[in-house]
Amino acid sequence: MNNMIGQLVANGIVYGCIIALAAIGLSMAYRIMNFANFAHGDFLTLGAYLALFFAASLNLGFPLACVLAVLATAAFAVLLDAGIWKRMRSSGASRTAIMILSIGVSIAMRNALIIFFRPDALRFPVPVMESINLAGILLTYFQIGVVLIAFVSMIGVHTILSRTALGKSMRALADNPNLARITGINVDLVIRYTWMVSMGLAALAGIMLGLITHLNPNMGWSLILPMFAAAILGGIGNAYGAMAGGMIIGLAQEISTAFLPAEYKIAVSFAIMIAVLFFRPRGLMGGN
Amino acid sequence: MQDYLVSIILTAGIYAIFALGLNLQWGYAGLLNFGHVAFMAIGAYATVLLSMNGVPLILAVLAGMIMAGACGAFLGVATLRLREDYLAIVTIGFSEIVRFILLNWSSLTRGSFGLYGYPRPMEELVAHGDYNLILAGIVIVVLLLVYALIEILAKSPWGRVLKSVRDDEAVSVSLGKNAFSYKVQSLALGSAIAALAGSLLAFYLQYINPNNFQPIETFYAWIMVILGGSGSNRGTIAGSLLLWGFFSTTRFLEGYISLSPSATGALRMVIIGLILIVLMMFRPQGLFGRKEELAVGK
Repeated sequence: MNNMIGQLVANGIVYGCIIALAAIGLSMAYRIMNFANFAHGDFLTLGAYLALFFAASLNLGFPLACVLAVLATAAFAVLLDAGIWKRMRSSGASRTAIMILSIGVSIAMRNALIIFFRPDALRFPVPVMESINLAGILLTYFQIGVVLIAFVSMIGVHTILSRTALGKSMRALADNPNLARITGINVDLVIRYTWMVSMGLAALAGIMLGLITHLNPNMGWSLILPMFAAAILGGIGNAYGAMAGGMIIGLAQEISTAFLPAEYKIAVSFAIMIAVLFFRPRGLMGGN
Repeated sequence: MQDYLVSIILTAGIYAIFALGLNLQWGYAGLLNFGHVAFMAIGAYATVLLSMNGVPLILAVLAGMIMAGACGAFLGVATLRLREDYLAIVTIGFSEIVRFILLNWSSLTRGSFGLYGYPRPMEELVAHGDYNLILAGIVIVVLLLVYALIEILAKSPWGRVLKSVRDDEAVSVSLGKNAFSYKVQSLALGSAIAALAGSLLAFYLQYINPNNFQPIETFYAWIMVILGGSGSNRGTIAGSLLLWGFFSTTRFLEGYISLSPSATGALRMVIIGLILIVLMMFRPQGLFGRKEELAVGK
């Protein structure tokens, strides 16, 4: 029994790391751009498929293909900003209009991937690895790698936010956009960097998800509930909250399978989200 | 020819009712319901399951509407005191949860096998082959009733307060109106209308399974409402005809492009996504709508 709980905790941490990385990007974009981006999940999918594409077609080693995929996803996010989001910002479009638009982006991206790849599940070209046994808990090297990479990325996000001029500008922009603008912050540039960081993290989360499960065109979209639950639980707009929220959601979903049928674990995210909205709508760590 | 006409009335009519429910929420109250399909699913399953267990059809339909309305009200109470994005997030999650429950509660819903062989209204009156004609008549009557109800409500003091809440919540609150309560009512009523469309859809399809209620159905309704012009009921009905036209034309064109069936379906969805993007960028008031009717957001 102990081992079973231990195993669920371990699975929860792995899954929680992926949710956390996705939720950090979602929350950062929400804070800077001031809207909930419903296409965020599809950037996870894009990242994973690009990694597959680069690995297969350019004949690169898999790690290099992943790096390229993260960069390409970030570049695509910048293009999308120039083509769509910037236009919406400068025309003074309402937040609701922008959110509806993000649904259109999500539908178009997801289905474009179905056209270019197949609709069914695919796998990365990586060897199948045996699990190793850590005190009765079985983990693959991929799962351990996911946790390590996620922690390194979180430290990276913390460094950007707290130690760099970019992080300072981001916080200024989030707190008071007009004041930020008149103090000479290049708002469009900061927004572009925010998209790059946030969508780069999303791509990384998508690749890690593909690594421990498989790829399918719905993989990112189907995480939309746990992702938003994590962001809201941590206080939407708060990157550190999203890290904590992601871990809590991941653990709660996995541990729930000890008591509930596994099919219902997604309902745990929903229940947590509703409870937070009723009792602590600003989240555990205070958000926007 | 007659069959063709009947199928337009059934598909476009049922979706028009579904979209009118959304128009009441988004067009009139500015509420972002991104999980409208959940309420349609609740209506369809409640009607079918209750009527299979001997509950008279009309009561089964009403029960579905009440259940959907109650769920809508609950989600509204949870989120409508907060910023408008929370309703969007929670409803989209709710629609996934409803579909998961329908898929996995097999002892009740038979999961992905779906349900069939359930009673349909006035079935004993005609031969099986002519039934769709009767159903088309029912759909027209229901559509007109829903349309009239929303038009009357919109012109009533209730509807005027709703629109004032949409345009400037602070003003209506300062005039002593309980904006929160109006929004919850609009959400509940719109959800009940979606449930009614769900019952009709179940009668039309004769077979329902959880995959009829994918999240994309919600956004078909959004396109109908936005295309026709948010806040305009006639526009919403026109939007449902336009979307039906889009689907039937693209099905016709399918023969001319050489893509696999899944890629053809996906291409159609890419176009749907692009329509939504282009509409929001260039013509958020839709083809026939007025800009001042648009929920401007704060």
